[in-house]
Amino acid sequence: MAETGTPQATSRRRFVDWVLSRTLTTWLLSTSVGGLILAIFYPAGRYLVPPAAAESTAATVTLPFGPNDVPPNSAEIFKFGSRPGILVRTPSGEFRAFSAACTHLACIVQYRDDIGHIWCACHNGHFDLNGRNIQGPPPAPLEQYEVNVRGDQIVVSRGA
Amino acid sequence: MGRQRVGIAAFIWLVGLTGAAGGAQAQENNCVTCHSALGGRLAAPVEAFQRDIHAEKGFGCVACHGGDASIAGMGGMARELGFVGRPRGRQVLDVCGRCHSDADFMRRYNPSLRVDQVTEYATSVHGRRLLELGDTAVATCLSCHPAHNVRPPSDPLSSVHPVNVAATCAACHGDADHMKPYGIPTDQREKYERSVHWAALSEQGDLSAPTCNDCHGNHGATPPGISWVGNVCGQCHSVMADYYEESRHATTFTMLGVPGCATCHQNHEVTRPADDMLGLDEGAVCARCHAPGDRGGETALAMRSMIDSLQAAYHAADSLLGAAENHGMEVSQALFELGGANDALVTARAAVHSFDREIVGAEVTDGLEVAVRAFARGEDAMNELRFRRTGLAVSVVIILALIAGLLLKIREVDYRATVTET
Repeated sequence: MAETGTPQATSRRRFVDWVLSRTLTTWLLSTSVGGLILAIFYPAGRYLVPPAAAESTAATVTLPFGPNDVPPNSAEIFKFGSRPGILVRTPSGEFRAFSAACTHLACIVQYRDDIGHIWCACHNGHFDLNGRNIQGPPPAPLEQYEVNVRGDQIVVSRGA
Repeated sequence: MGRQRVGIAAFIWLVGLTGAAGGAQAQENNCVTCHSALGGRLAAPVEAFQRDIHAEKGFGCVACHGGDASIAGMGGMARELGFVGRPRGRQVLDVCGRCHSDADFMRRYNPSLRVDQVTEYATSVHGRRLLELGDTAVATCLSCHPAHNVRPPSDPLSSVHPVNVAATCAACHGDADHMKPYGIPTDQREKYERSVHWAALSEQGDLSAPTCNDCHGNHGATPPGISWVGNVCGQCHSVMADYYEESRHATTFTMLGVPGCATCHQNHEVTRPADDMLGLDEGAVCARCHAPGDRGGETALAMRSMIDSLQAAYHAADSLLGAAENHGMEVSQALFELGGANDALVTARAAVHSFDREIVGAEVTDGLEVAVRAFARGEDAMNELRFRRTGLAVSVVIILALIAGLLLKIREVDYRATVTET
């Protein structure tokens, strides 16, 4: 048939024959083009339709302030992923870090230097400097984080 | 029955003879020896007492029952030896109080244990009925701390462990026959077990959540008075109690002779508070006294409207930012700041107890500002996401077109080469 038509018509017919033939499947499999296409579309698809689970939160954060910015018997709120944390410097100068979300209704806690407690203003909940709930409605202790002071940097990490 | 008593007497006489014959056995606890051998109801205390806190501390039967355990047979149970048998009514207070009201004695075993239980008991409804009216049907020490099975409150098997207190009180207070002469309800436990307090205690394991004795007192058990019920709730819910104390409801409720907190929240069946309680809709507690036309009704509607608006704004911002975060957009700062709107929402709900729309309004306004700002940042993130998606789609189409073009070109080149060869 190729000898009877024009070169353009012959080309089209050969192309159609090629597309319709079983050779296409064999060719796709043998050259792994199928895999290549999957490799392109799968990540794009997962990006366009992501899984329902949220991204895992940060495990470590370097605080935007140094040890000298937090005098003894005071505290600073910091951002840990998208959640609040509180760095407390005890009256003896030790650094301790906790989740700043009250375990009652997730209000942001603060440090009370007059009584040396971590305190939630929403419902007058009190936590001691180990994060333990000691007074008021909070039903559980605050999650404690690890604190490492490296020179003039404070690094807070979620416990293993 | 008579034959059984003769048998028991004969057994005790026999044990007495055996005990007298064996001088070396004088040190043994003859109460345990006899009662174990007698079996049934008489042996039950021996078995139970092994796990009693008093047994752990080295006390024996005579510490409460008197008599002399070294004497075998009935001789050890002589009245002249101080044997009291089974203490009843007021005698229970004397038996328990002999040690538990003696600070010097108790210090040797548990220095932190209070020694005012009997004094407190005398002020309770139970104590006053027993001591003033001679009513022996009321609770005494043994009703809550069952004899021979007394365990510290920290022991989960104790009748006075926080989780078990409601069942202990309900043993009498849930018994309609027992309560009939007093004319008081018997559904307190049933109601309490539908409360948020019981859920916290039994489901979440929060042993600080209140049970019967936290509001009524334990040894001085008495219903809280109408005028000071708020002090009881205010032990934990101090912010709401402070707002309430300053409100016009505090004076009005006292004047009407109705309790503060319990009028809206119930006493035993304290369910989880919801925004539905506020306003004038069906189920709203304000609607029990207030109507749309009166000042209180208008305040209730206004407060509900403000709380609803902040709630809606907060949730809209939270879900938008959550969706953006889920799609991989960086919105952590906006989520962090949105925490301020949650604070405002919680504080505004507490401020409802001031029954003052201006106080509630101030909290809501602050929260709305934060929520609106966070929502705008969420919209920015979603717009950015849409832009990136469009860009990705366009680039994928271009790449695919390029691949298709290359394939066709390769085929064409191959075909030309084949034609040239042939």
